[in-house]
Amino acid sequence: MTERLVTGFHPFVIPFVAGMFFVLGYCLYGIIRILVELPRADRQKFLLSLITPKTVWKNIKDIFLNCLIHVKLWKRNKVLGFMHSSIAFGWFMLIVLGHIEVMLFLPERTRFFYYPIFFNFFVAEGENTIQGAVLFFLMDLFLLVILCGITLAVIKRFRSLLFGMRRTTKPSFLDRIGLYALWLIFPLRLLSESFTAHISGGSFLTIPMNWLFRQFLGNDLNFLPTWWAYSIVLSIFLFVLPFTRYMHIPAEMMLIPLRNAGLKIKHPRKGFARVQFYSCPGCGVCIDACPMSVRKENQKDCTVYLNRQLRRNNESRIEEISDKCLMCGKCTTVCQVQVDGPHIRQAQRALRSYSINPHYTQVSVDEHLSKIGKGKVLYFAGCMTHLTPGIKKAVGEVLDRAGVSWTMMDPDGGLCCGRPMLLAGRKEPARAMMRINKEIILASGCDILLLSCPICYRVFKENYNLPGITVMHHSVFFNELIKANLLKVDKDAEMKLAYHDPCELGRGCGIYDQPRELVSAAGTLVEAAQNREASICCGGSLGSLSLSYEKRRDITLNSIKNLKAGNPDAIVTACPLCQTTFKNYSDIPVLDISQVILKENKKG
Amino acid sequence: MKNNILIIGGGIAGMETARQLKQLGLNPIIVEKNFALGGHVSQWNRLFPDMIPAKEVLDPYEDSLEGVEILLGTEIASINRLQKGWSVTLSTGKNYSCKAVVFATGFRLFEAEKKEEYGYGIYDHVITNSDLENWFNTKLDERVPEKPQAVGFIHCVGSRDIKAGNTQCSKVCCITAIKQAIEIKEAFPNAEVYCFYMDLRLFGKKYEDFYIKAQRDYGIHFIRGRVSEVSETIDGRVQVKAEDTLAGKPVKVRLDLLVLMSGIVCNRENEGLAKAMEMPLDEDGFFRSRNNVNAITEADREGIFYAGTCTGPKTVPETIAEARSAALCVYNYVKNNK
Repeated sequence: MTERLVTGFHPFVIPFVAGMFFVLGYCLYGIIRILVELPRADRQKFLLSLITPKTVWKNIKDIFLNCLIHVKLWKRNKVLGFMHSSIAFGWFMLIVLGHIEVMLFLPERTRFFYYPIFFNFFVAEGENTIQGAVLFFLMDLFLLVILCGITLAVIKRFRSLLFGMRRTTKPSFLDRIGLYALWLIFPLRLLSESFTAHISGGSFLTIPMNWLFRQFLGNDLNFLPTWWAYSIVLSIFLFVLPFTRYMHIPAEMMLIPLRNAGLKIKHPRKGFARVQFYSCPGCGVCIDACPMSVRKENQKDCTVYLNRQLRRNNESRIEEISDKCLMCGKCTTVCQVQVDGPHIRQAQRALRSYSINPHYTQVSVDEHLSKIGKGKVLYFAGCMTHLTPGIKKAVGEVLDRAGVSWTMMDPDGGLCCGRPMLLAGRKEPARAMMRINKEIILASGCDILLLSCPICYRVFKENYNLPGITVMHHSVFFNELIKANLLKVDKDAEMKLAYHDPCELGRGCGIYDQPRELVSAAGTLVEAAQNREASICCGGSLGSLSLSYEKRRDITLNSIKNLKAGNPDAIVTACPLCQTTFKNYSDIPVLDISQVILKENKKG
Repeated sequence: MKNNILIIGGGIAGMETARQLKQLGLNPIIVEKNFALGGHVSQWNRLFPDMIPAKEVLDPYEDSLEGVEILLGTEIASINRLQKGWSVTLSTGKNYSCKAVVFATGFRLFEAEKKEEYGYGIYDHVITNSDLENWFNTKLDERVPEKPQAVGFIHCVGSRDIKAGNTQCSKVCCITAIKQAIEIKEAFPNAEVYCFYMDLRLFGKKYEDFYIKAQRDYGIHFIRGRVSEVSETIDGRVQVKAEDTLAGKPVKVRLDLLVLMSGIVCNRENEGLAKAMEMPLDEDGFFRSRNNVNAITEADREGIFYAGTCTGPKTVPETIAEARSAALCVYNYVKNNK
């Protein structure tokens, strides 16, 4: 392999070099900015994680699997997975192989970083070597892989339904420029490498192309314009990249280490949150996932649009979108980069200041304690279960029938668990309530804190630190009672029950199986069309601060329709709020899991 | 028959319309899904504000409807437009062609168990306004204790309640609650009676006097504020938590009996019928009148008329007046479309 140009330079590389410097500079600026914006403790935590071997290995693994191979996308949708990984991994391999070529054949040129990209322009193949043949073959192979991906991408742009996406985002002007540049890069690379294939060598793709071109064009000198075009298109893509959704490519590589370091979103625009919204690829899978998207006018309130507005600093829309969200978390579950939309919103809500701030100093811990009896299990019904006395009664009866030593924490009403305040972004009042609750629980002398409301359950699990006390949701506890043979349930196989995963219990706390086991113990479980992680919010969520009841109606009806896919006799849920919400619109009975268990226990 | 007018519903609206149409020389036919006429009024004991027994209102219809074809336990299977008039097929398989159809399909009481926080069907001593009327009639209801010390009424159960899906005011419950509170006080003079209300809408003749009488002569307590929560105490009493918004204080009352004033909501059975006939329903689920000023009894479709609560909550006198107005509209329509 010999060099064709003694200088190792040609002016056509200038656009690419300029673009590359621009992007690298921008990313460096971005990294510094984010590090500066992170709170001190978070920054230390992050930097420490970068020298901890375990997290370093996890970072490398996650970046490889998610950014290059797109494992999550493969699991969800094979065609989309192939499309993305072929472009990302193929491109990555072209760059790596380019570097290998340079290092192997022209080691003195490794410091010219445009060399691996335009290698075929600068070299002439003197003799055929086996290494050269293998490398050229691989280069052509990965170029072919990318071209397949690009073809799919073009088809997807015009027929997204073929790829299982009902709704997708509308790209902005710059997004389009970036998109068209991306489409053009690889066909142009194929063209340019084909033009020079008889000089620099090629393989199964470029050599036949070269032969074809020369039949028509004849003149070797025609290759220069295509190399110019290739460099210019690359340059356009690199220059618009920071202002388009393609920013997600570098941002995700930053997001993964930050997430692995265990950071939490503290401010909706700064630090971790900034990496989150720049990591959004703008694909729009969250539009279909968002429960609000059944209403056309609410389709622009999902996370992909929040991220877009955050990038544009559109304050009024950011606030509107943040307040409206039901905080069901489905967007994060379906998202390939797991942009944490709900927590960004929660941080945004925390920016608002209120003129009235409750303090709860009038609440007496002793007075509450005086009403609590003795028992190993402390049952906290919470506001929502107090408003659904049917559930409260059923839970109590099941506990009695199983011979559990239990007592109620809030027999005459108690303090709120704090979760609604947290969801509204009001951390201080929430913490004040949580402090009092914690004191009551620790003083009660219980072993198990039992909750029948997933909203309470999540906050007790996530935000309270209760040493020596097991926090349990009743669906889990009852399941254990059955397994320990303390509770008998007669299965009524004729009764078809659809189980609704409450957002806070399922996506929020990862409890999917125990309630299903419980339902299956009482009747025949029929799954909803979309279940588990994909379960649709009932619409009653107290996560939303501004969605009116009329608008929630459509969400509820859609969720019921989803649950009725298997023609159940009743809908079973494990959340008093879901039950109340469904009850208003469902034409089949809606029961709490405790009521089903009690019914089937009484028969025996 | 030449001048057939089909009336759907045999409550007071349907009966009054039939009575008037018969006198106007037309041939009304009443189709009633139940096995008796009288509708909701037949379940009631006495009617406000004069406390006349409901029976006195219903009984005269027996004579005045003599000769009118009445089909009990019958529903509408289908209704089709004819060149002139309508062809109605009934669930019994019978078919009638008629000049006009009058909807007097009435309302349904809100299912109080849907407001689970009030504990209807869960606690032992929670009943609805309709249950209480039944108790007045029969004195049989084990939920009503023998000698209650305290009785409470919750107004607006399922009405003016966006969460329950009903934004409309049910109109009659304010005055019904006052009437029933007085009747309870008459039955149990030693009991304390509480009414939890958000507004008192006492628009009708003598209603305000009735309200003043309830406070002054019967000592009934009126507490402005919605009830937040109802629970059951260990001794089986009902504990109500509410906010007294006039005093600005939370209140907690223990009661022996709690009565929920279930509101008037639309009759869901109308949905299918309306869809089949391409007749629009209002957002509240009631039938949509041509307008709500001078054509309340007329539908947008030719030859279709409304009487009574199928277009929205109404009192008994309003329903009767409207039934007469509907009958006159039908008469004029038949006369002009010979």
